[in-house]
Amino acid sequence: MARTRRARRPRLTIGLLVLASITIITLDYRGDAHGAISSLKNTANDAFSPVQHAVDAVTRPIGSFLAGAFNGGELQQENEKLRDEVAQLQRQTLAEQATQNALRALDALNHLTWTPGIPTVAAQVIDLNPSNFAATVELNVGTANGVAPGMPVVGGAGLVGHVTATASTTCTVLLITDAGADSPVGVRFGPASADVGLTQGAGIGKPLTVTDITPGAPLHKGEILTTSGLQNAAYPALIPVARITGFSSTPSATEESVTAVPLADLSQLEYVDVLQWPPAP
Amino acid sequence: MTTADLARSTIVMVVVLAVQNTLLDGVRVAGAHPDAMLLLPMAAGYVAGPDRGAGFGFAAGLLADLFLPTTFGLSALVGCLVGYGTGLATRGLVRSSWWLPLIAAAGATAVGLSMYAILGAVLGEPGALRTDLVPALVVATPAAVVLATPVVRMVTWAMPPVTSGRGASVGAGSR
Repeated sequence: MARTRRARRPRLTIGLLVLASITIITLDYRGDAHGAISSLKNTANDAFSPVQHAVDAVTRPIGSFLAGAFNGGELQQENEKLRDEVAQLQRQTLAEQATQNALRALDALNHLTWTPGIPTVAAQVIDLNPSNFAATVELNVGTANGVAPGMPVVGGAGLVGHVTATASTTCTVLLITDAGADSPVGVRFGPASADVGLTQGAGIGKPLTVTDITPGAPLHKGEILTTSGLQNAAYPALIPVARITGFSSTPSATEESVTAVPLADLSQLEYVDVLQWPPAP
Repeated sequence: MTTADLARSTIVMVVVLAVQNTLLDGVRVAGAHPDAMLLLPMAAGYVAGPDRGAGFGFAAGLLADLFLPTTFGLSALVGCLVGYGTGLATRGLVRSSWWLPLIAAAGATAVGLSMYAILGAVLGEPGALRTDLVPALVVATPAAVVLATPVVRMVTWAMPPVTSGRGASVGAGSR
């Protein structure tokens, strides 16, 4: 009898733990306990932040060495700083091009917003892709720095993503390459920036696909896609997003098949800017 | 489980989490990185059997979930199943084999990542199964073999074998 009880105990334990897990998942998925879970995550992030910084200070050189070994020895700190400066200049140039295109076509009637008018918070990436199943990065700024969920993040030569969760000194950014439902970006293109589409991520390190483009739309390889800034858009207008790398269509297709690569090098992010731009409710 | 066991288990989880977040997350190949947190339930199941493996896996998964952008509780569910499964699969096997934890680590990682991707897809993240799983398996499974020995040693320190009333040890691990 005692032996039977001992044999049943693991099954009871695993049953209870599975039940507890499913309950937690359901509460989070349905949003019933979103506030409590967010608060728990924020507290944990804040508590763990000093430990992470301390360990990071010790292990970063090792991590850089290992990352360098896997990435062909490209990761030298000096190169990163220079690359960031070059990328910022490139972003300014692309932004000017996009502005000129838009101004030619849309002028002041479209009430364009533009990033120079938006305050920014400079941030350092402290963790790249903590999960293998979501394209996200962690930044060293949070609510204490004026960062809130929904704020766009730019880095390198273009759009990086948007803030999805915040703690007091850290935040999580969902990258535009994430394959989930929250990452698509409304974009403009064409000679007069009059055509619009929607980017869709395909996973970490993979190019974007651009959907909702009618066959025969004026597409050009190398053309820059910028955020559309349409009503209720998640991003302000005219932030450079991606460069078109290919497009094709079949006679019976209802939309053009378009691929584009993000302008920001999302695999080598070091410094970014959070735009203090709240999305429309 | 004594207070000392609990304290040692907490230390091991926090150390592995810190190493994961600061060191291993940066080792990316094709967008994927090694997953040491998934090795904790495997090691606990291997060292302490299915019952304690499930409990340790649940706790380690819940801790990992606090720092992940994915659905809260997903790692806890995968962790307890991996801990339980590893405990069952390796129960009664000869623990002196040096390669046994390595095989267990590779198997548990592959199964754990697949479960994670399937559950993620069920919860509305089809990309987890469609695009993220293959790179994760290709990178994390061989990495698990490399990381298995130190993780199993740490968990063995945290969860010393429990001696039963008849003098036999339950789920004795490799030291």
